[in-house]
Amino acid sequence: MITIVNKHKTFAATGGCAFDKDKPAVVFVHGSGLDHRCWALQSRWFAFHGYSVFAPDLPGHGLSAGEPLSTIEATGQWLVKALNTIEAPSIHLVGHSAGFLVALEAAGALGDRLKTLTAVASSASIPVSDLLIAAAESSAAEGADFMLRWGFGSQTHAGISAVPGMQPIAIARQIISGNPLATDFKACHNYCAGGSRVSEINIPSHVILASEDKMTPIKFGLELASSLRARITQIDKTGHMLPIESPKRTLEAIKAFIIEHTD
Amino acid sequence: MGKSSFLGEETIALHSGYQPDPSYGSRAVPIYQTTSYVFESVDEAAALFNIEKGGHIYSRMTNPTVATLEQRIAALEGGTGAICTASGMSALFVTFITLCSAGDHIVSAAQIYGSTATLLKHTLKRFDIDCTFVSINDSKSLTEAIQDNTKLVFCESIGNPGLEVSDLPAISKIAHEYGLPVVVDATFATPSLCRPFEHGADIVVHSVTKWLGGHGVAVGGVIVDGGAFNWGAHGKHPTLTEPYEPFHGISFWEEYGPSALVMRIRAESMRDLGPSMSPHTAFLLLQGVETLSLRMQQHVKNAKQLTSWLLEQQLVTWVNHPDLPDNPTHKVAERLFPHGAGSMLCFGVQGGRNGGRAFMDALKLASNLANVGDSRTLVLHPASTTHSRLDDEAMKAAGSSVDLIRVSVGIESIADIIKDFKGGLKAVERMAG
Repeated sequence: MITIVNKHKTFAATGGCAFDKDKPAVVFVHGSGLDHRCWALQSRWFAFHGYSVFAPDLPGHGLSAGEPLSTIEATGQWLVKALNTIEAPSIHLVGHSAGFLVALEAAGALGDRLKTLTAVASSASIPVSDLLIAAAESSAAEGADFMLRWGFGSQTHAGISAVPGMQPIAIARQIISGNPLATDFKACHNYCAGGSRVSEINIPSHVILASEDKMTPIKFGLELASSLRARITQIDKTGHMLPIESPKRTLEAIKAFIIEHTD
Repeated sequence: MGKSSFLGEETIALHSGYQPDPSYGSRAVPIYQTTSYVFESVDEAAALFNIEKGGHIYSRMTNPTVATLEQRIAALEGGTGAICTASGMSALFVTFITLCSAGDHIVSAAQIYGSTATLLKHTLKRFDIDCTFVSINDSKSLTEAIQDNTKLVFCESIGNPGLEVSDLPAISKIAHEYGLPVVVDATFATPSLCRPFEHGADIVVHSVTKWLGGHGVAVGGVIVDGGAFNWGAHGKHPTLTEPYEPFHGISFWEEYGPSALVMRIRAESMRDLGPSMSPHTAFLLLQGVETLSLRMQQHVKNAKQLTSWLLEQQLVTWVNHPDLPDNPTHKVAERLFPHGAGSMLCFGVQGGRNGGRAFMDALKLASNLANVGDSRTLVLHPASTTHSRLDDEAMKAAGSSVDLIRVSVGIESIADIIKDFKGGLKAVERMAG
């Protein structure tokens, strides 16, 4: 679906069904360098099982227009505006990596519309190494290379795919190649408000962690879960790119929690 | 390495797409000789059928052994995904009909495999898909052939039978200016010698039967998606961008982006037409893929040595291989094939059509048959077989000649290949009197 946010065309995937504001909405927020396509094998299930799906491309990403935003705070405000356009009274917010930081920033403004919060391979802050930022700034391809090396787990590096015939690393590379990775990395790196935002969360929360995550190591995810008093799901033999790398197990974890908290 | 993996080519060929299975620890890829897969629940079945989840439903669409071969070839080429088919021809057919509908048009290289030419010229024509054939490295001809309803540009990385190398960067630049993907049949090259995605191509097709399989034991094809083509930018490919009714109006481009083409082929052609590869065939072809790099090195080495030897023989009137300076695309081959432009070569002998026949009948090691890319040396004399009904002029028009002998150089000892060819030339000498 196309909505207009801050005068710019915004694309959001709806999982193959028209968005219906009367259904509980599952909102998927992508991480650095990614877009809605990283949620392809999670969003469709919800859309066909009683939920409405809103998986936006953040400004300047994927099929959305506008300049990419340079801070997590600004992106959180943008997300609130985007969610206001769909008028959903009941929202389950799911964020991957930096997308969870965006969700944290938006959460306070959503009031009681927000029913649950799910972090996928994330933590309250995600410092990005100088090496990675420098690589992404000097060459998008080089930055993507670093992210793909570190972002995927050992099985995917061995060419294993949950979807027959596919190569997740190449898919992620193509998605990243069209998105502003360096801007996203810097926004993520500079974000310091996560800790205080976490302390303001008092709704059911869920932290999904990957055993081989090198970009948001699992100990930081556990700290986040502790602060949120969240449910923890750990997925083994998987790296940071959970939604692409382990789509089925990621979906199972997300859906079990959201179903449990759907009226 | 490529865009799919950080492993080296030789490691990918041996390991990619498979790890020892948790039940028995089988080191080799097992043959999953099954038609179908038990669903965990009714909901799970429904989710698989509606592409909400990835997984196996029925072996016409996917099979674990076949998927390993697909993932391995996709990784070798640097693609986002691959689909194996029953043959190279079915891979081409599926690719063409996924991108084209009635009323559409294809621009193809003129110098291509005969059955592909027939598919494009006659078979697709019955379905109102038209084709214009051009000299593919002639930029002006290529540009002039593109029409409003053109959907793709097709070529072979090394053309058959003339062994002209397609200038993929130049062809891709023109095609992309018109919003068209470039489909390359890379059978003669394999990803060991040239990876077309690194030169701008968008879709790669192979007859896996040939060098990838390499042992002449199984027929198969594969389509590999590079994932870089922006299907949504030009509105030329509604099969990927417009709602597809059988799956609740899904837009493959919006939902899957860089894997849109593979997802559409899987959902439509494999499901509705069923040109699937059998798991046993995939297993046989995997054995070949595992040694691809080693074999290609030997193929190329032998081809170079045989070419050099043929050039020194008085009874040999001409020799053609892209690595030779008088091949019209030699400079292109130098750029795209730094390790050698494959192991196909052609040459002519004195005595024309009869000279060619005499040579062929005297061979003992090389096999006279209509195949290429076997680990064994294969030869064919088109004037007495595939093109036997053509006169001299017609042969020339087809890019061949009456004295042409086509060689797919194998990986035997080069001394034995040369010894065999010496015997062939002696027969030519005897015939000449």
